[in-house]
Amino acid sequence: MGSTITEKIMARAAGLPSVKAGDEVLAKPDYVIAYDFPGYTDVYFKSMKEDFGIERVAEPDRFAIFIDHMVPATSPKEEELHIITRTWCAENNVPLFERKGIGHQVAAEVGYAVPGAFVVHFDGHISQLGTFGTLAMGIRRNILEAFVRERISIRVPHTVRVDLEGELQPGVMARDVFHHLVRVLGPSSCRFQVLELGGSGLSQLSTEGLQTVTGLAMFTGAITAIVNPDETRLAYALPRARKALDPVWSDPDADYAARHTIDLSVIEPVIVIPPTPANTRDLKDYLGLEVQVGYLGSCASGRLEDLRVAAKILAGRQVAPGFQLNVIPTSQEIMAAAANEGLIGTLVAAGAFVSSPSCDYCFGRIATMTQKQRAVSTGTLNVRGRMGSTDSEIYLCSAASVAAAAIEGAIADPRKYW
Amino acid sequence: MPLQNLRGRVAFIFEEIDFDVDQIVGVKNIKITDIEELAAAAMQDYDPDFRKAVRKGDLLVGNANFGYGHPHYPPMRAMRHLGIAGMIAESFSPGYWRGEVSMGFPQVSCPGILGLVKRWDEVEVDWQQGRVLNLTTGAALPFEPLALADRRMIEAGGLVPYLKQPLEV
Repeated sequence: MGSTITEKIMARAAGLPSVKAGDEVLAKPDYVIAYDFPGYTDVYFKSMKEDFGIERVAEPDRFAIFIDHMVPATSPKEEELHIITRTWCAENNVPLFERKGIGHQVAAEVGYAVPGAFVVHFDGHISQLGTFGTLAMGIRRNILEAFVRERISIRVPHTVRVDLEGELQPGVMARDVFHHLVRVLGPSSCRFQVLELGGSGLSQLSTEGLQTVTGLAMFTGAITAIVNPDETRLAYALPRARKALDPVWSDPDADYAARHTIDLSVIEPVIVIPPTPANTRDLKDYLGLEVQVGYLGSCASGRLEDLRVAAKILAGRQVAPGFQLNVIPTSQEIMAAAANEGLIGTLVAAGAFVSSPSCDYCFGRIATMTQKQRAVSTGTLNVRGRMGSTDSEIYLCSAASVAAAAIEGAIADPRKYW
Repeated sequence: MPLQNLRGRVAFIFEEIDFDVDQIVGVKNIKITDIEELAAAAMQDYDPDFRKAVRKGDLLVGNANFGYGHPHYPPMRAMRHLGIAGMIAESFSPGYWRGEVSMGFPQVSCPGILGLVKRWDEVEVDWQQGRVLNLTTGAALPFEPLALADRRMIEAGGLVPYLKQPLEV
């Protein structure tokens, strides 16, 4: 019996010739990644010193810290947290990425998505590095283990293999594919397992689209998602890689906990109704539902293809009167590219409010909604209160669907503007 | 220190699949940090008299994929403050599971638990035998073995005390 890509990566990280799903091992992460957030990094930095007597990390280049939340700061307290982070990084000689964009995206841009690497973060959306054959897991507070020990205890996860087949219809985006997958497989289908994506339809998704799908893996119950990287993914990742590792791929006879096939050709635009990411519905059943706010951004969406689609739909049109459309490119690199392509100009001309990269729109820290307001959003979540008042509502959908809703001030089918 | 068996009444059964634990205190209260305030908010939508009825050592029972969504820590902090000593569910959502185990909160996945117990039954989680026993009816079911690291974290009482122990290979 062969091995999955996950088993191969875990074996190397654990320094073992091979491991099997279910084995409990001590694995050394190639990279330990975090963003500064109150109750997280400040607590880890303090605990490292006070509880564990660690003044300096042993291998600073194995760590990376991002400042992407509370950007820009709106209170002295927030700026003070950033100062704690900057100071710790400077003292420890740990790379710090501030104001470069949302860390999960920037991590790929600056070379932490090394094919074959094992990465940990406290936030599960780091799973999107799986696009490049990197095994990246969000382990919540257990990330402290990776800050104070070289190796972390981990059970090698089983893998659910999902093969994508067929061709996508026009007007259907990666975002629709992911929520369709949750609908078909269920929100606990990959519980405690790795979602491995494959199949001949995988090439239907751009690298950016795959980042969307892998980055949301947690809503299938998966602890991460991974792809066996093809030439396109490697062409992005290898020139940027901070470390020389041999990429690995699942063996054809690898052992999977389950196998599923998703037919891409049957997918139509979907919408995820509040208050849980498990609630995928057909967009067509919600046409005309009035919305006041649109958010195009986040670590899940907000990349170039999202901006291109939104610009295409909004070109020569206007955002509905009174509708607030917030467009936040995921990273500075993406924003600059979008500006060079003229996308930003098109979006602004249509009436969009375009802002620099920040995580803060996704959790209602800015552009906060009040009661009875309703949003269409490409953010990660639609739980109550996520973007402001607990009496506001969030409908998750693709960038195309957000753009279409912005024109009509109501949920609309993006295909008529495609 | 080996784990002491959990023994208590089933103080509540969350029957909803994919239950979002933030609902225990209500999403609008999720940013409260004061433990008394949180405890006062807890369970108001489910059983306003919960606080009076619950006693130290009682347990909670949940359905499949308990903790799905975007779980925060305050709801279970509030429950522990009210005396809840552990959680038994059909299955757990990984993010929730990891977060609460890192707090040292005893939890077990026990497929079939919803059919094994009724509210206020007396139950025991027997770590040695790996089973949940309904002391009221005498019926029992095995629970899924904990990963070694999870077990040690619960034994140690949470992540920091666990990490202070020497690493056992």
